[in-house]
Amino acid sequence: MSTSSLRSFEYLESLPGTVFKRLYRQPSTALAIFRRMLPHLAKSFVMALLYHSHPLPVADLEQWVRPDSRRERDQALSLLERLHILSIVLNPNSPRAYALTNPFKQSLRLALTGGGDHQSFGVPCDTPDKHSVDVDFLDDFARAQWEGILHYMVGSTGIGMQGGEEVSQGVKKLLELGGLVEIKGRRVEITQAGFSFLLQEINAQVWTLLIFYLENAESVSDMRRFRTLDPFRSQANISVCQLNMDPVDVLSFLFMLGSLELGQDYSLTTLTPTQVKMLDDLRDFGIVYQRKSSSRRFYPTRLATTLTSDAGALRTVSAGFDNALRAGGDSKGFIVIETNYRIYAYTSSPLQIAVLALFSRLSTRYPNMVAGRISRESIRRAIQTGITSDQIISYLGTHAHPQMRKNVPVLPPTVVDQIRLWQIEGERMKATGGFLFKDFVTAEEYDNLANYADEVGVLVWRSDKRRMFFVTRHEQIAAYLRNRPKKLT
Amino acid sequence: MPPKRKASTTGSRSERASKRSTPAPSTPMSVDSSDEYSEQGEPPDESEAENIDKAINKFSLESYNRQQHQATDSASQLFGSSDFAYLSLKPDHDNRPLWIDPVKGRIILESFSPLAAYAQDFLTTIAEPLSRPTFLHEYALTPHSLYAAVSVGLLPSDIINVLDRLSKVPLPENIREFITKCTASYGKVKLVLKHNRYFVESTDPEMLQRLLKDEVVGKTRIEGSDEITKEKAPQMGGLVIPGTKNAAGVKQQPDQAQAQRTDQDAEGPAKEDDIFLTLREEDDDEDETDQVHSFEIVSDDVEVVQKRCLELEFPMLEEYDFRNDEVNPNLEIDLKPSAQIRHYQEKSLSKMFGNGRAKSGIIVLPCGAGKTLVGITAACTIKKGIVVLCTSSMSVVQWRNEFIKWSNINPDDIAIFTSDHKEKFSRSTGIIVSTYSMVTQTKGRSHDSQKMMDFLQGREWGLMILDEVHVVPASIFRKVTHSIATHSKLGLTATLLREDDKIRDLNFLIGPKLYEANWMELAEQGHIAKVQCAEVWCPMTTEFYQEYLRESSRKRSLLYIMNPRKFQACQFLIDYHEKRGDKVIVFSDNVYALEKYALKLHKAYIYGGTPQAERLRILENFQHNDLVNTVFLSKIGDTSLDLPEATCLIQISSHYGSRRQEAQRLGRILRAKRRNDEGFNAFFYSLVSKDTQEMYYSSKRQAFLVDQGYAFKVITHLQGIENLPNLAYASPQERTELLQEVMLQNETSADVEKIDGDLFGERSGGPGSKRFAKKGARRTAGMLSDLSGGQDMAYIEYNKSRNKELKGKSQNPFMKKMFRDQAKRRAQNTNLD
Repeated sequence: MSTSSLRSFEYLESLPGTVFKRLYRQPSTALAIFRRMLPHLAKSFVMALLYHSHPLPVADLEQWVRPDSRRERDQALSLLERLHILSIVLNPNSPRAYALTNPFKQSLRLALTGGGDHQSFGVPCDTPDKHSVDVDFLDDFARAQWEGILHYMVGSTGIGMQGGEEVSQGVKKLLELGGLVEIKGRRVEITQAGFSFLLQEINAQVWTLLIFYLENAESVSDMRRFRTLDPFRSQANISVCQLNMDPVDVLSFLFMLGSLELGQDYSLTTLTPTQVKMLDDLRDFGIVYQRKSSSRRFYPTRLATTLTSDAGALRTVSAGFDNALRAGGDSKGFIVIETNYRIYAYTSSPLQIAVLALFSRLSTRYPNMVAGRISRESIRRAIQTGITSDQIISYLGTHAHPQMRKNVPVLPPTVVDQIRLWQIEGERMKATGGFLFKDFVTAEEYDNLANYADEVGVLVWRSDKRRMFFVTRHEQIAAYLRNRPKKLT
Repeated sequence: MPPKRKASTTGSRSERASKRSTPAPSTPMSVDSSDEYSEQGEPPDESEAENIDKAINKFSLESYNRQQHQATDSASQLFGSSDFAYLSLKPDHDNRPLWIDPVKGRIILESFSPLAAYAQDFLTTIAEPLSRPTFLHEYALTPHSLYAAVSVGLLPSDIINVLDRLSKVPLPENIREFITKCTASYGKVKLVLKHNRYFVESTDPEMLQRLLKDEVVGKTRIEGSDEITKEKAPQMGGLVIPGTKNAAGVKQQPDQAQAQRTDQDAEGPAKEDDIFLTLREEDDDEDETDQVHSFEIVSDDVEVVQKRCLELEFPMLEEYDFRNDEVNPNLEIDLKPSAQIRHYQEKSLSKMFGNGRAKSGIIVLPCGAGKTLVGITAACTIKKGIVVLCTSSMSVVQWRNEFIKWSNINPDDIAIFTSDHKEKFSRSTGIIVSTYSMVTQTKGRSHDSQKMMDFLQGREWGLMILDEVHVVPASIFRKVTHSIATHSKLGLTATLLREDDKIRDLNFLIGPKLYEANWMELAEQGHIAKVQCAEVWCPMTTEFYQEYLRESSRKRSLLYIMNPRKFQACQFLIDYHEKRGDKVIVFSDNVYALEKYALKLHKAYIYGGTPQAERLRILENFQHNDLVNTVFLSKIGDTSLDLPEATCLIQISSHYGSRRQEAQRLGRILRAKRRNDEGFNAFFYSLVSKDTQEMYYSSKRQAFLVDQGYAFKVITHLQGIENLPNLAYASPQERTELLQEVMLQNETSADVEKIDGDLFGERSGGPGSKRFAKKGARRTAGMLSDLSGGQDMAYIEYNKSRNKELKGKSQNPFMKKMFRDQAKRRAQNTNLD
């Protein structure tokens, strides 16, 4: 399962049951969750139960699955229960049975068969747009916006890169609240989470950001409101003004976006006020396009329409992005990594180069290619900033040049092993938290205290030569120190 | 440094002939590369050295003015001055395979481009290959590589045009300039020995005029000869390198251009696109400029002219017009019809005999790819007196046998000159095989060898083949070429690589690098074995690591070599591969460890102190006896020990970060003999103690092979090692005992073996080895207390040397037959004496 769904799962599962009930009232949400979030087995269960008039006894359902796949079955069932899709019906007269929960069942039926007046799949505008835009324009827009965000983060890596689209205040705030960047004085510094974020698939990135958005919807939107009034207003003042963004509204809007059609303009009429407000922010992310805030129509971009589809079409950060946007399907990689640890990337995009520079040492740049190499140092540096070897390997793998794809396995196994080993190498250290005692005036004092620490069993390390020792807890020693002068006097 | 005494120019003619080929100085030997010849050569001439350096530096790319270009975008600052994003791509760049770095002269080649085969061929000629893995290859344009390119007959305009055609970006102006500048001075003037008269030859008459006006050169011109003679440029003409494809059919074909073209058609890719056609046309243009001008110079002043030309920055190329040499008698030698040379051998030889004359130079082929055959074929082409110099008396014998195997030479015409064989050939000319040390030794030469030397120096030779040129420092070559008069020199090596960068001196001493093979390509085509390389990480045991951290650096190495886990890994790998039916070689630079390992594991071992007879016995057993599948070798096995049976190599200790040693050792298992079974791989293991300096050295050592495209797999755990029966040092007690024993060793045990003389066979073939054999004593490092039975003398008693066991006991009828054959051969040898 891809990281993106994990990310959204975590968030969804933390929601209370009542929220689910409201969420599932929208057929688009029910369909999106069914399509995007469920593993195949769980999907089969749902489809089997969807038109069942009576609850299905537990024993019957369990028989559908072969005994050797019990683990998968239990996982699927527990997931369905956690998402409040499936519930156990307890009836004194009959055995325990499974049934789909009601709003979900109805909504999914509606979504599959059509009908109803829920309008949860968006309402296309009935009048033609005077400033109509085509799919290419939307793709360019989405890419510019999204790369702008990534750029902003990369730019803060200390490499000192700037460029790309200007990032809105709201997005900056969101990145900070999500812990992807830290603002220290005037400087922006990327965090460990930020580094891992950069190497994720784009779909996962979008979801990560959207969930930050959900969690922090209020403050982000407030930023937008107050920005015009007083950009230096502190956060304390913002929280005064609650906008009451309803997470259900936000979520169902996101799920709705996933079911919209690319290139079609949609009307704002069916949206709730919260959702209308969201459009501003989503435009900053490049998820929807709206010519201006007062416009009565909006276009979903490819980022939106692939939100709830299978992640396959949009696997990658930027190259894949590029290709997924332009050519769709067949994604073309650009990185060649050789068994001598040299790395060649067919790219001229500063963003891709910056991402590469996170874990490799680039040496030469040609118009359409950069050359460099990965070394123990470059990988260690990346690992120190919080990138894992697996992320690097999967990044290299997903972006491998078509020439490399002819090989099985795609990446040279020795290089892959070595990257992993470089990480493991650094993980042999075991840290013990504690306190260091030093600067003793006399040897006697040192001995006394160190021996005491040893006696009470908190001593970890001592160096008689340098008169230092290290303990795990200091309370007892402090008490001992406090008591001792009394004895002496 | 004291100035070198000037070589006298009043000597015999033959002596002069040799001097002309040594325009460059000898250079000081490196202190840290221990496995090379360590004779105190003459101190180098500094002024001469400066000249060379000046000539080289003048052409360095760095000296060209660089334009400052504006940063293209935000990513530019990652690259500093190496940002070439400003270069504009050609519209059809997808079809062109090269990028060229205008600052460093680096060239990157897409090996998957349809033009790659052609480009690769071209690049190996004009540039130095840096790395050649699977997809993208890197080359570097250097003054030396361009010198080599010019010397094989490429014109500067060709180089520039072809590069421009192949490049994705327009050829940067300073590269263009660089090539023009370098080639303008290189290769313009040739020194040709024709009809045993020396001519200065050039395609550019103005150049000759300039030289004639020079006060030094002008004086040397032979009085009364015409100003400048004009003649048609030499062509490959009827010259056919024996053993090549052409040898059979094209013999009658007098037109050289046609022959060359058929060659190209065969090599080039079948697909012909636009670029290709134009490239072809290019080649045809060459024929128009085929006119050379020359003037004759006094043969006594050859060296003077050469020196002067170097000062004038026109280093001279040497060529030997052996077909017109009527003074030196011809040697009756030809390749046997059964000897077929491979395409890369042919290619390398065609570079040497490109225009029908013999050029001096170096050919680089991996071990096991048939360097010897290249040498023999060259000899068969020149058909004059031949001198072969190699590194040890063992390879002397091997060379002689190879000559007899591949060519129809009369065994009487091929003589050996070593410390115990001093032969001369009976007829007017022949082949002499000797070692570097025999030829260069000045002190304490016996009467016999002095006579032999006089014989060597008293005549003129057509070709000198220098085997394993990389091990011998420049001063030796200087001596060699001083003392023996040869018309052309051919250097052979697998790794033109030295940690101390002295390799470039060879360019001037022997000649440019004519050809360098691509290892991976040869392995793909099955000419050398495919090797699986692995680095085995052996964690240090706690006790050993504690001591390691505490010890001085010298003793540290002993601790990480003797790491019990490493020992176990070695034991396991030997066991595993013997069961698979492999023949295993274990290398250890450290003799203490070598002995310890071999005794404990009950295997045969050879090191510098092993007597010659014992060595032969062990090697023969290793080759033919099914019961002896593993042999431990010290550094003496690095080069020139021919062990075609070996299919697995384990390295337990090595010479610090020497890339060359790693490559040479790998070469031990590259012989393709057992490749016949499909998919058979040879195995190369390097055992490394984790978290020690070894890790650092190991990565350095692998650099060369990794750049050749070899992949080193890291093994952190050997599956099933704990289940191996009789695993050594399995109990903590045994390990502690081992540690104690290691700690008792003095520091010298930690040193690598010193085999200064041995490399050149003094001990192996000399009287020394006989002494050893008689007394049966071995020289081992030790302290005085050893003599009194201190230390762990008793321990050795338990592990009887396998070497001794192999001796004498020949109940097996097969062995008996073998020994009989051996005796017969020995008798033959003595008859030859």
